[in-house]
Amino acid sequence: MLFGDREVDASSQISRLETFIILDKKLIFTLASYFLVLAMYINLQVLRSFVLGFMASIFYFLINGMFLGHAFFEQEAAFFRLTFGILLLIMLLEFIGWLSVIIYNLDVVRFTLVLFVVATLSSFLNRKAISKNVT
Amino acid sequence: MLHSQRKSKKLLCMGEFFYLFLVGLSFYLLLASRAGEAHTIWEVLHPLFIPIFFIATILLFAILFTSEKVSYILLFIIVHSILLHSLFSILFPAGDLSGQQMILGRTRLVFDNTVIHGWPPWPPKTIQTQIYQWFGEINSQAAVSTVFARMFSLDIFWVHMFLVPALWGVLVPIAAFLTTKILSENEKAAAFSSLLVSAFPYTIYFGAISVPNSLGFIFFFYALYFSMKYLTIDSPRNTAWMLVFSFFSFLSHNLTGVVSFSLVVLAFAFKTSMKEDRGSSTTAKIWMFVAFLVCTSLLPLSFTYLQLFLPGSHVIFSLDKFYESSTGEIVGLLLIGELIHFDLKTRILVITGPLLGLLWMIYLSYKLKKGQPTKFGICTLFLFAAFFMMLIDYRILKLFMVGLPINEERLWVFRDFIAAPFVALAIYAVVSSIKAFLEAKSPSIIPISGLKVFSNANVFSLSLIINILVSLLLGGWITASLSVAYPQVAPLQTTWYELEAAKYIEENTKEKYVVIGDVWTIFAGEMIVGIQNPGAYYFGENDPRAYDLFAKMRKDPSPQVLVEAMNQTGADTKVAYLIVTEPRLGTEEFNQVVSRVLENGQLTVMGIFGDGKLYVFSYRKE
Repeated sequence: MLFGDREVDASSQISRLETFIILDKKLIFTLASYFLVLAMYINLQVLRSFVLGFMASIFYFLINGMFLGHAFFEQEAAFFRLTFGILLLIMLLEFIGWLSVIIYNLDVVRFTLVLFVVATLSSFLNRKAISKNVT
Repeated sequence: MLHSQRKSKKLLCMGEFFYLFLVGLSFYLLLASRAGEAHTIWEVLHPLFIPIFFIATILLFAILFTSEKVSYILLFIIVHSILLHSLFSILFPAGDLSGQQMILGRTRLVFDNTVIHGWPPWPPKTIQTQIYQWFGEINSQAAVSTVFARMFSLDIFWVHMFLVPALWGVLVPIAAFLTTKILSENEKAAAFSSLLVSAFPYTIYFGAISVPNSLGFIFFFYALYFSMKYLTIDSPRNTAWMLVFSFFSFLSHNLTGVVSFSLVVLAFAFKTSMKEDRGSSTTAKIWMFVAFLVCTSLLPLSFTYLQLFLPGSHVIFSLDKFYESSTGEIVGLLLIGELIHFDLKTRILVITGPLLGLLWMIYLSYKLKKGQPTKFGICTLFLFAAFFMMLIDYRILKLFMVGLPINEERLWVFRDFIAAPFVALAIYAVVSSIKAFLEAKSPSIIPISGLKVFSNANVFSLSLIINILVSLLLGGWITASLSVAYPQVAPLQTTWYELEAAKYIEENTKEKYVVIGDVWTIFAGEMIVGIQNPGAYYFGENDPRAYDLFAKMRKDPSPQVLVEAMNQTGADTKVAYLIVTEPRLGTEEFNQVVSRVLENGQLTVMGIFGDGKLYVFSYRKE
């Protein structure tokens, strides 16, 4: 299995990081995700820095991609879990962004709202999966 | 670890570093070849690129034959795939001159907040038109591009240009891997498939242009994967994912959406019939056949109903093509489709993959007849039916329908996606069989037990030779497909000076303005300010007014025509521009128009770009 039992040694650190993120103790990564959205908003309004935007986006994708991957594709190997998680995140952004476009528009404020909604949804689904696993 | 193992591990590491170096060099060569003015990529591509790409591909296949972890190989394949699909975006200043520029024209309106009261920005005539616009071919890609552009704080131009090459490069190899893994459970064969999906020219082309159809193809591939999972594993989640990916495929493009949903229906039919009596009874066979016919007819029928949602489209079943074409042409179209108009090399490269896939599907299906249907068998039959469905649909669209809004060859991408796993399985099985045969025969070559080491060495050498030969063959195949995928003949792509002119006008005009120019000017303009932007108006690519006004200006470049253009675009439009470009008009006509305008003296020269190849004239309303 890809990044599975055979490759535990090589990917143990990634797995630990993944577990740390998806456990989301005290909602720290959900809040981090919100902070990243805020950073992207400020970047768009004030700094307009590609480096900052890119870094914030990478972490946003990583956190929420892991949340969604854990929520829906827990049985898959870690590599595919993350891939599906990020793909799902892109799909959610696309869908909610599309709704925003057809209803009104996708200016900076609505774009920020789209990110907030998707981050909240990802966190909620992740927590739901955690509680399901516990019970 | 044994010394020999350490040595081979070291060799593998060196090979991988060399591969990464070659890929890095290829990207560098692409950047170095970036041109401001070109017709095709072949005019400007560095002569070393193709040989280096060929060597890198061979090396990647060679790595595939080693014991390297599949996860790393998959990462290499993703990098390779991104490289393969980035040629247009890196080499040309505005990507391929095609639909992707029109899409950017609309996406720009969303990004620049020109659309502020929902889509479409113009009042739709009917509720059906409204629905078509919502689920049209623009909005979902516009949304995802805008979200990415804002996240990265980049201009939409760059995000749009690289959106599909990047997403395709990452997601399609993974989808091919997963699909093949369901069929064979062999990771090496699956990795083969993820690389071999790049051996199909049409998939290379569609992965290189940022159009909604390409996004739809990506989602289609995942819908196909989940359809197979739905058939093999009893879980409501797989049903949900199959439907979700089909919905997103539809959201991206109606063609891919309809095909995805057709396969969903086919999967339902397969599952139902398999559940009832494992597909063996006559009733089950009839049920499957009827379901197959229904699924096959969905796509052609959907086109005929398009006029309900898109006024002006008139797609009908017709025998016109039979009356208009010769018998030879009809037979050719029936057999190989549009390829009859292509050269032999293209025909071979486009047909080889699907043909190989089809032959392997037939072989596997024949083998299945002998035994009980397994989950692998069900998937093989399902894919066989889907492949056959694409073959029939293509011929229906090509020969029995007229007025289609798309070219029928887009269906080849679906066909190629379905064939790719079987091509990989076929090649992998053949190579494995040869190796197994050699190993089995080795003791008989040298029957003296004392010389067995020598015998093993012989087998090892032969295996190595086979690996090298197969790598060479497949590397050559992908490289040749690349040479066919990117067009050899094309009109002049959007040039740097056309983009500069559009930017210059936008940056230096405070009032509302309208630009008159040829269709190439419209393409360049819409990439910078969007299409039919009320503040910076470029007529639509298909707007007859644009052609009419430009034709008048070419004949008689007087301010009256520009005033007419301003009046057509709103009372508050104060400035009009005329753009004429030498390579588009031809030197003689260009010189005539420019000299007439200069002699006339009523229009002002606003700017000259591209060393005198492009003139921008302006006229301000009193």
